[in-house]
Amino acid sequence: MTTLLLCNRPLSAPAIQLACNANFQQYSELHSSAPQSAKANTPYLLNGHNDAQGKRIQSLLAPKHISKPVTELALTFGEDNTVAIAAMMEQLKDYNIALTGASTSVYGERISGFAKSVKEYQVALLTYREAKQSKAGYQAQLKQRAHHAFNRMQAQFRAELHMVTSHIRSRRGTPLTSAERGTNIAGSSRNVAKLQLSSEIDAHRLVRLSQHTKLLGNGLAVIDFGSRVGKVHNSYQTGGEWEKDLFRESLSFGLSAGTGVATAKIGAAVLGILVVATPIGWVGLVIGGLAIAGASAGAAMAVNEVTQSNADAWYEGIMGAISGVES
Amino acid sequence: MSTFTFLLGCCAAVMFFSLFLYVVFGQVTVRKLRKNPETRSDLGLEFASGWDILNVAQALATPSKIHKVLESGQLSFLHANSDLIKKHTNFFDKIIAIIFFWSFMGSAMSMLALIGLDKLNFFS
Repeated sequence: MTTLLLCNRPLSAPAIQLACNANFQQYSELHSSAPQSAKANTPYLLNGHNDAQGKRIQSLLAPKHISKPVTELALTFGEDNTVAIAAMMEQLKDYNIALTGASTSVYGERISGFAKSVKEYQVALLTYREAKQSKAGYQAQLKQRAHHAFNRMQAQFRAELHMVTSHIRSRRGTPLTSAERGTNIAGSSRNVAKLQLSSEIDAHRLVRLSQHTKLLGNGLAVIDFGSRVGKVHNSYQTGGEWEKDLFRESLSFGLSAGTGVATAKIGAAVLGILVVATPIGWVGLVIGGLAIAGASAGAAMAVNEVTQSNADAWYEGIMGAISGVES
Repeated sequence: MSTFTFLLGCCAAVMFFSLFLYVVFGQVTVRKLRKNPETRSDLGLEFASGWDILNVAQALATPSKIHKVLESGQLSFLHANSDLIKKHTNFFDKIIAIIFFWSFMGSAMSMLALIGLDKLNFFS
């Protein structure tokens, strides 16, 4: 376990002691061992956890464009929740890749609706937090709004929520399972967060989460295409073959979306013919609809996977052909 | 490049072309129908924005006998009214609809068939 300390404004050692009962002498900065006071948006590592992994995690979170959103997230959602949400978003994203294909089908509509409702709730929480911090007068109203957004999310997407939160084990609940907990955390005016990460995987997830929140402003809902763009952008920054990545990502997006839609369309036609030919009831229609949605999601997923693995060969082929024509 | 990669690439190219036609057909034909108060409400159920483009293309591209079957059942609200749409579109619209719809469906289905065959080790 690696423990990190983050704060959103410069704080002296006694202030940290007061805020979260931590002895700042026990923490070290990335390149200096005994800092006198804490700087804003800088990860400090607990000395007892000063092993190689701890150092790697610290340096991973050290860049300003990462540590700032991570600090903000940890203060808004609570430390343990931030790590849990990062894991959850990762899962939601995996699921999204399959679903962008079917995003135009009924099922996809539902998932994008779910992502939207999570986002609305989170925006409500963040607005509430802002109001609380600036001591604005309409806090109660904003708190009410966050509760409403939570209830709407609960009422409409109970099954999906259960699926994504079932693996989160937090004693006091998370903002996704309790609106009270959400508004409590968002409303607390803390400046210091103590993050506990069990491995580098956690740290990587956090980094990705923080980058998505930057990409989409306040919203945490990760859009699949956003992550695809992120992939291309990363490869551009690291000097990789970004043109090839762009080709692969945009092609697999287009093709899997197309296939998902085509499958859903054929399914609807088959169902239409079945309805005319047989005395199928409404229950049958619902089951048929679910089967079609599942099939189109599956088809989209399969095409996405296969396109991803073949696109590089096509890219090489096309490039080879172009250079052949040129010479 | 293996046979599978090559064949899949051909399907991908056709699909890409059909997605291009999807935009063209949507802008040229369906926008006109959406604006027309007579046809506006007969473009079929729209699951998501843009779905009506597919409904219209399907109504124009499938043989009217088959489409009449679809339009007569309990699920008729899913599909566009082919008679009405045929009345309000010209020859050019029908040609794009046919090329778009069948290249779109054909490439998607052949891609899935190829993946299926590959899973059955047909290409190894």
